[in-house]
Amino acid sequence: MSRKYYVCTGCALLCDDIEVETDNDVVTTVHAACRKGVARMKGCSNPMECTVGGEKADIDSAISMAATILRDAKNPLIFGHGNSSSEAQKKSIGLAKKIGAYIDDTSSFCQGPIIEAILQDKLKTCTLDDIRHKADVIIFWGADPSNSHPRHLSRYSYFPRGQERQRGWEEDRTAITIDIRRSETADICGDTRFYQIPMGGDAEFMEALVSALSNKVPKTSFDFDKKRILELGNVLKKAKFGVICVGLGLVYSLEQLEPLFTLMNKLNEVSSFHLMPMVGQYNMRGFNQNLFVETGYINRLKFNAETGETEHGNNYSVVEVLRDMSVDAALIIGSDPLSSLPLSIARYLAEIPLITIDPCNNLTATRSTVTIPCALGGVESGGTAVRMDGVEIELKKIIETNNPSDEEILTRITEAM
Amino acid sequence: MEIYQFLPKTNCKECGKATCMAFAVDLLGRKAKVDDCPPLVNEAKYKANYEKLSEMITPVGDVTETGLIVHENKCIGCGNCVVACPVNVANDPFGAGSGKAPTSDKVIFMVENGIVKARNVQECRRFGENKILCVACIDTCPTKAIEFV
Amino acid sequence: MGFGQFLAAPEIKLKIVTYRDVFQNAAQESSRFGEEYEKLSAIIKLDPRDISRLSITENDTVIVKNSYGRVVVTAQRSGYEDAHPGIAYMVNSPWSNALVPDKTSGTGVPKFKDFEATAQSSKGGKVTGIREIF
Repeated sequence: MSRKYYVCTGCALLCDDIEVETDNDVVTTVHAACRKGVARMKGCSNPMECTVGGEKADIDSAISMAATILRDAKNPLIFGHGNSSSEAQKKSIGLAKKIGAYIDDTSSFCQGPIIEAILQDKLKTCTLDDIRHKADVIIFWGADPSNSHPRHLSRYSYFPRGQERQRGWEEDRTAITIDIRRSETADICGDTRFYQIPMGGDAEFMEALVSALSNKVPKTSFDFDKKRILELGNVLKKAKFGVICVGLGLVYSLEQLEPLFTLMNKLNEVSSFHLMPMVGQYNMRGFNQNLFVETGYINRLKFNAETGETEHGNNYSVVEVLRDMSVDAALIIGSDPLSSLPLSIARYLAEIPLITIDPCNNLTATRSTVTIPCALGGVESGGTAVRMDGVEIELKKIIETNNPSDEEILTRITEAM
Repeated sequence: MEIYQFLPKTNCKECGKATCMAFAVDLLGRKAKVDDCPPLVNEAKYKANYEKLSEMITPVGDVTETGLIVHENKCIGCGNCVVACPVNVANDPFGAGSGKAPTSDKVIFMVENGIVKARNVQECRRFGENKILCVACIDTCPTKAIEFV
Repeated sequence: MGFGQFLAAPEIKLKIVTYRDVFQNAAQESSRFGEEYEKLSAIIKLDPRDISRLSITENDTVIVKNSYGRVVVTAQRSGYEDAHPGIAYMVNSPWSNALVPDKTSGTGVPKFKDFEATAQSSKGGKVTGIREIF
């Protein structure tokens, strides 16, 4: 029996074993995808309309208005990209270069620092397939994949049999959760494999672990049971192929990455450890890699339209440029920043001329001068995307739509400039 | 027992049982239905309890022969049970057993529309002559969506 | 109208942690403006002792505010075995983001998972709608 598999764009696991049934260009049944993936693949109940100034418009006038807004802006921002195909992201980068825009993506307040360190070879990493075939010690640190990436444990990190992991999870793998709360993932790992630390205690717990790995007494200001840290140290020392899956809980807790570098270096002295960024949106890592290839930076840029040179740094992050009020118009694609940014920053974004490109109506669209509906990536249009581990995955179109792809819309806006 | 707390506790015997506690035991084992308690169904003061109990107790029709129940409202479709079930592994080592979508019709668990569906339950290790108390699907479920009664 | 109406509702200080929830995320994929998304997003999960301190019962609405924003959300028990008075959990959503400080101490990354706010009973107030957050 030959089977046709599609790719789920519900998160950056990009599960590529999904079968679907359709009826009249509607996805009716989805096989193997999780609850969240199914919700995405079946599409939203409130598609976005093509509008200009709040009135329904045809796509030609919407594109021409979008070009006018960007042309009139002194300091435009192009933001989003987490839920955009790599092809669209490259067009976006080209457009930013052409008009001298700020460009950033959701990684700026998500996994950005970790991806940057990985692309700069400061952290050892591996693929998800490596994890399935080899990993024997897996740590979920500040991550709750049971909610954020539901199939992470079943497809790769805990339950599946792999080449060097043939005997099943009970004998072959040890899964550990380090978190400030007992998440559902922590429940699966079990009481003895759950290390509950206080809010903001991650860096200190890392230092204590390094002490344990160096045969020193692991001290913490929150008086964590030293015996348990030593036990954990022993498990990590014996690992043949260890992985730390880094979630946002850890990313937000660390002011800088030094403690993580120190821990990873120590772990790789005594055993072998890899790092997996738990990227959320399906192609956030794609944007980081695409921009990195083009400019050497993963996010937070401003292009100079004349010279093509870039300025980069924390001051160019979407949060800082909006707080400074230095942006005077924005194109938003594959993201809903009015939902995901702190309100006090989102409020400023809501005041400037906005263009939103997305398949579904969202909060940003309700404040936008121009809204252009695009095809739903991986369902109504194909393209490529980069999985959380850096592996490129080809997306396949499942059903037809009248909406152009995100790439096509950006191409047309660029041409209209 | 939580179920008992929601019953009238009058021991009226209308259900045919001697006490409400006995009825609760049968409810738990799915030998009786919530609707078998006339006061719960008919009296307005028990309406909230009736609804609560109906929600708590999956109707007997949905219980498979092995006593396996999937609480669909709790299931997140993660597929942990699909991959961990020893029967799935044995019958589909390179599909379900390797973390991927099942490729065999002989698996017990597969996920459809984001919710796990049980089938071929006669293959379950808790069934038949040489049954054992396997808990692979229960222990690996993050939301306690699988139950045996 | 009960006597409680005329008493000042006790106000408590909370540290708030945000988290992800697969059911809420699935509801978001279906519709940002749907009832289901609001029901699963506009909530705050509290330690039972904090619920008592607020003189409310579970599923009452509370005003959660700080200098960055103010929302009315439904109070629920967290269900965690370990006690966590003073620490509350909110799912990542526009409601939690209404309270996230915009300060990043130069890193460009706001503290989405560690911020302070106060809570008090809304005395029957309605949950803030997604369009009213702005």
